[in-house]
Amino acid sequence: MEKSGKVTSSRAAGFGIPFARAGLFFARLVLAGVFIFAGAAKIDDPGQFAIEVQRYQLVPWKVCAGIAIYLPWLELLSGLCLFLKSLERGALVLITLLLSVFTLALGSALVRGLSIDCGCFGHAFVSTGTVVPILRNLLLLLFAGALWTKNR
Amino acid sequence: MKPVRQAVLILLVALIPAGVTAVVHPRRPPWSGETLAPGEEKLKTVLSWGSNALWVDARSRPAYEAEHVPGALLLNLEEWDSLFPRFLDQWSPERKVVVYCDSKSCEMSHEVAARLERSGFSSVYVLKGGWEEWKKAAK
Repeated sequence: MEKSGKVTSSRAAGFGIPFARAGLFFARLVLAGVFIFAGAAKIDDPGQFAIEVQRYQLVPWKVCAGIAIYLPWLELLSGLCLFLKSLERGALVLITLLLSVFTLALGSALVRGLSIDCGCFGHAFVSTGTVVPILRNLLLLLFAGALWTKNR
Repeated sequence: MKPVRQAVLILLVALIPAGVTAVVHPRRPPWSGETLAPGEEKLKTVLSWGSNALWVDARSRPAYEAEHVPGALLLNLEEWDSLFPRFLDQWSPERKVVVYCDSKSCEMSHEVAARLERSGFSSVYVLKGGWEEWKKAAK
């Protein structure tokens, strides 16, 4: 019974269905692409990114500076590791956690009426506000959820 | 390897380039604190917005007429009613409004920015350092 359940679940996850496999590949590509791009875009100017983080008014400056130095590299590595079989699930843990934290921070800025940009992609995109990035993050969390289902 | 161990490994590996960034990156943030008040913006950032920035000079008319940021509109509290229509003509939702006054210590830019926000405008910023900062950068 259990064995047949496993077979059904694995099929449902898409291994036997080209369409589902393509969907999962697309989800992985988008997640990895967004994280690699977000990290790379901010590595160039951590000083400016620290100011973007400070605008959320959630943590003191020194923490903002630390985040600005560390986070872009973490995003870049997490995106890259999503393509490595041996580190894929760890990258997925980090990406899911990061997306959740980012969404909470954006939500808190929205609730407090802060007129700020997301700061997610450095200078690459400005005037994005907070609503669009929240919706984007929720979509990315759905993609991450789909990859979790496949990895279960 | 379990997912949590993999995640810890990635977290540790990210420390290496981050450590190098903290020491040698030419644009690394200062640890001593470059604080911006809520709504304030640095000149460098505002300049990166290019024509997307709508400059607003919150100083007095004589100061504005003597010199101002190229393209800046005069909008101060004393002449608000007569100057506001011109601001409305120039404003569009996708532009960021950047208000400045004399220097770091003047409050007029914050007051004009607050009034604009109360009037329903979003994306209103105050230039940190004001006109003084602009002049310094222009030299």
